[in-house]
Amino acid sequence: MINSRWMLFLLVLFSAATAALSADAQVVGAPQPWEWYFRTAATPVQVDLIWFHDLIFWVEVAIVLFVLGLMAYIVVKFNAKANPVPSRTTHNTFLEVAWTVIPVLILVVIAIPSLRLLFFMDKAKNPEMTLKITSHQWYWSYEYTDSGIAFDSNMIPEDQLKPGQLRLLDVDNRVVLPADTEIRLLMTSEDVIHNWAVQSFGVRMDTVPGRINESWMIVPADKIGTYYGQCSELCGVNHAYMPIAVDIVSKRDFQSWLAQAKTKFGRLDADAPVKLVQAETQPSLDAR
Amino acid sequence: MADTHAHAHGHNDHADHGHHPTGWRRWMYSTNHKDIGTLYLVLAIVASFVGVGFSMMMRLELAEPGLQFIRDQHFYNVLLTAHGLIMVFFVVMPALIGGFGNWFIPLMIGCPDMAFPRMNNISFWLTAVGLILVATSTVIGGGAGTGWTVYPPLSNHTFHPGMSVDFAILSLHVAGAASILGAINFITTIVNMRAPGMTFHRMPLFIWSMLVTAFLLLLALPVLAGALTMLLTDRNFGTAFFEPSGGGDPIFWQHLFWFFGHPEVYIMIIPAFGIVSQVVSTFSKKPVFGYLGMAYAMVSIGFVGFVVWAHHMFTVGFNVETRAYFIIATMIIAVPTGIKIFSWLATMWGGSIEFKTPMLYAMGFIFLFVVGGVTGVTLSNAPVDMAFHDTYFVIAHFHYVLSIAAMYAIFTGMYYWLPKMSGRMYNEKLGQWQFWITFVGVNVLFFPQHFLGMAGMPRRIADYPDAFAGWNMVSSGGAVISLVGALLFFYILWDTLRNGAKAPANPWGVGANTLEWTVDSPAPFHTHEVLPVITAEPAGSHH
Amino acid sequence: MATQAQKTHPYHLSEPSALPLFGSIAVLVTAVGAVVFMHTGFYLGLVAGFVLLILMFIAWWRLVISEANNGVDHTEVVKTGLRIGMLLFIASEVMFFFAFFWGWFHSSLPILNNVAGMWPNNDIEPMGASGIPMVNTLILLTSSVTVTVAHHALVEGDRKTATNWTGITAVLGVIFLIIQAYEYWHLVNHQFGLKDGIYPSTFYLATGFHGFHVLVGTTFLIVCYFRLRAGHFTPSAHIGFEAAAWYWHFVDVVWLFLYINVYWWGSSAFGHLKPLVQ
Repeated sequence: MINSRWMLFLLVLFSAATAALSADAQVVGAPQPWEWYFRTAATPVQVDLIWFHDLIFWVEVAIVLFVLGLMAYIVVKFNAKANPVPSRTTHNTFLEVAWTVIPVLILVVIAIPSLRLLFFMDKAKNPEMTLKITSHQWYWSYEYTDSGIAFDSNMIPEDQLKPGQLRLLDVDNRVVLPADTEIRLLMTSEDVIHNWAVQSFGVRMDTVPGRINESWMIVPADKIGTYYGQCSELCGVNHAYMPIAVDIVSKRDFQSWLAQAKTKFGRLDADAPVKLVQAETQPSLDAR
Repeated sequence: MADTHAHAHGHNDHADHGHHPTGWRRWMYSTNHKDIGTLYLVLAIVASFVGVGFSMMMRLELAEPGLQFIRDQHFYNVLLTAHGLIMVFFVVMPALIGGFGNWFIPLMIGCPDMAFPRMNNISFWLTAVGLILVATSTVIGGGAGTGWTVYPPLSNHTFHPGMSVDFAILSLHVAGAASILGAINFITTIVNMRAPGMTFHRMPLFIWSMLVTAFLLLLALPVLAGALTMLLTDRNFGTAFFEPSGGGDPIFWQHLFWFFGHPEVYIMIIPAFGIVSQVVSTFSKKPVFGYLGMAYAMVSIGFVGFVVWAHHMFTVGFNVETRAYFIIATMIIAVPTGIKIFSWLATMWGGSIEFKTPMLYAMGFIFLFVVGGVTGVTLSNAPVDMAFHDTYFVIAHFHYVLSIAAMYAIFTGMYYWLPKMSGRMYNEKLGQWQFWITFVGVNVLFFPQHFLGMAGMPRRIADYPDAFAGWNMVSSGGAVISLVGALLFFYILWDTLRNGAKAPANPWGVGANTLEWTVDSPAPFHTHEVLPVITAEPAGSHH
Repeated sequence: MATQAQKTHPYHLSEPSALPLFGSIAVLVTAVGAVVFMHTGFYLGLVAGFVLLILMFIAWWRLVISEANNGVDHTEVVKTGLRIGMLLFIASEVMFFFAFFWGWFHSSLPILNNVAGMWPNNDIEPMGASGIPMVNTLILLTSSVTVTVAHHALVEGDRKTATNWTGITAVLGVIFLIIQAYEYWHLVNHQFGLKDGIYPSTFYLATGFHGFHVLVGTTFLIVCYFRLRAGHFTPSAHIGFEAAAWYWHFVDVVWLFLYINVYWWGSSAFGHLKPLVQ
């Protein structure tokens, strides 16, 4: 039983690895087998986030090792054989002050970069374009408000996957966004709460019915490629089946994509985008 | 500690006063704190079969990518919802609070029973009714696939039209009412019925932990009750609290839920602090180091626990100022927590430690609680939460502090107090085996989930992208090892009750100096009918 | 314990009792009955549950009253415990109302969230502060005075006065409830129903739960009235009355918050905010 399970596991592993290798060479933001660290950071926010995480991480590793070391010392020195007569010490003012003050100092060291990053990642300062993201059970709708393009993005079912496409991650219509462009992301939901999360961008934002949430991203030109994410808030039966796939392309490629997309998706006068506009200006009244 | 020289005058407590109830009436109609404590422990064990069983089903499903045996993802969502609700409300809380609290508050403060023994009984039976209702919700009405957080709109009548969510809501209402009544009982008992001479600053730390926990229950659960009532009327009577179309706001639910939910996590871990403090002191044969600091660290954790709730909601779209406040407030909790950790280490320092099974579990608790605690500091930083919210990193974090730390405290308490409760000694060798098997199991189970979270795997999905396969398989293997540990524990329990050697009144020696060790093992039906007198120096005195 | 001669401590250990189990079964019947009612409209299960619950309460409190009256069980220490218990219960009740006030402010203070475009929603004409609510405020404030008069009389040993003023307090409670029912009837027919959005939701649930607490408090006072007539209370032993009075003051304070925030503030200068521009 166990053997066959392990065999299966290795098989799965192998196939996953080959799938990843044979996929589009441009894929930079997909999960990798046995990954135990962040995916490639594509935005300055995520670069800072990883730096900040690593700072906290090493502080925490130090704390855990310190505690572990103390416990090991205690086990060796203060077991009943080694130390038959227990001490009666119950107070040490210096120690008690130290283990109150030092953690406070450590927390201050953590809090300062934390708040800086928090304010940095909050909103776009000078957005050059806007992408509106609307979640549904169980797919995403995207609207390029500056270009009048809107389309839905559905997961490709397992039986329709083409070679190289990733199961549960690839979609029929990827979001295409230009590199070197500060993009404002506006998010809302048509039904329940979902969450638009692409780890490489440092973006993870709930889409809440009745609310417009805002985030932003900018991907430098050297990070051109495909990035994947998944819905990250339990949204019902097909929660696992509404992935996010984003193609970051050069500004020029983006313009040519826009021209194609306008004929394919352009529906300025259709109802879906218009509804969104209403939702933005009068969120609490529109649905009545 | 405070009660170092506690001296029980009433050594022949066990002379029962003529009658005590027997047969089924003894248990059904009980007004005895020990019997009710036992009932709570039995309820927790029964519920754990269901709760742990559900988690095993989830782990087996997740062992490999693709769907193995769960064809309907809604069923997976029902499993994870029921797993969460059952483990929180019907395993951890009944065991730590209902079970150990009922058994040992009167024994440790030196009074014959709880303040309101009849109310104590209805607390138990209402908890049982809650368990019945939550079980009903999984089978009738299609099941509640909402997560234990029951976020609307997913939980409203549009997306969960069946009876299940209503059953779950009423289950929490009833279990919550039971806990509020229990909290009133605990606080009244501790405030009003301490033995002569037992000042607040002479109470054992377990009693302090129960007092803080009871206050958290008392003040947090009514807010949940209000929230559940609003959800119920939204679902069934057309109100619009959480309905954007009627001017309501789904985020309001999250505020109310987490205003309850964050104190709730301390409700589950503060009793653990108390138990571990007793055990560390007992087996180090030393009084607790920094007793007052330990007691007031719990009090301050309780206070701060009420003003940090929105760190569960960093991704809902708050403005930065709100998030900045909740980052700072949350990180502050690390300070009293650190005080506790280092005071435990200082208690062991210089001790003459016997590594019996309860002590192994207490030390395991301390170490693994540190591991789970530091990832809490990671998550308290809203910017990093942008990488981790709703990923397996969160699962790993809260299972380290709950599934590992709180469960470890339950094991600690069970091994420590089993001689007192059953009058028999467990098999020490088997106990140590059980510790190590569980230690390996839970770490193999939960540590790789940090990696999955770093790699971005969302929680609450039955099928995942193939790249996540490796660590998921490892994690599922750990689940199997943990299950072996759990089954071995049930065997040890059965073996103790059947074959265990007779336990003396105090099997742990000079370190065990709280009042429960002054009465016979098993503790007689009535104890402390002649009130013990506490003559020890106050704990804060200088020596 | 049954054998009081042997009792060596001041505590009250209850005899085993079937009431908790019976009450829990009543709760189970009520809960299942409620779900069935909400989904099918079949209400007999719910009614049966309520009947069982009320029977449980009656039996339970009859038992407590008999224990209070036997002169043995309720020692000074036990009485202190009962007082602490009642205060804690009221504290938990305060937190229950906290949730509904939170709902009120979350929805009405637009700066706290970006959902509320206007308040009250739907161009609802809010319930004003003058007229009926004003009258009800005066009634409740008066009743707080009357119950205090009764308490003082009781402490001073003037049982007759205490009885009468308790009766007057209970009557004021009943009048409040009748007026509140009229207010609801008027509102539903002329201004807004429960389903008309967030303002009616918070309004009806907050005031409705308060009304339910007035009902409970009034019942409590009526019980105290009859216990006073039966001579259950003495100047030094009247925990039941104290608890009823505390509860009544709590109900009164909740009303003051409701009146100030929901009726007054909610309908005056800050009401009818214009839609916010996002």
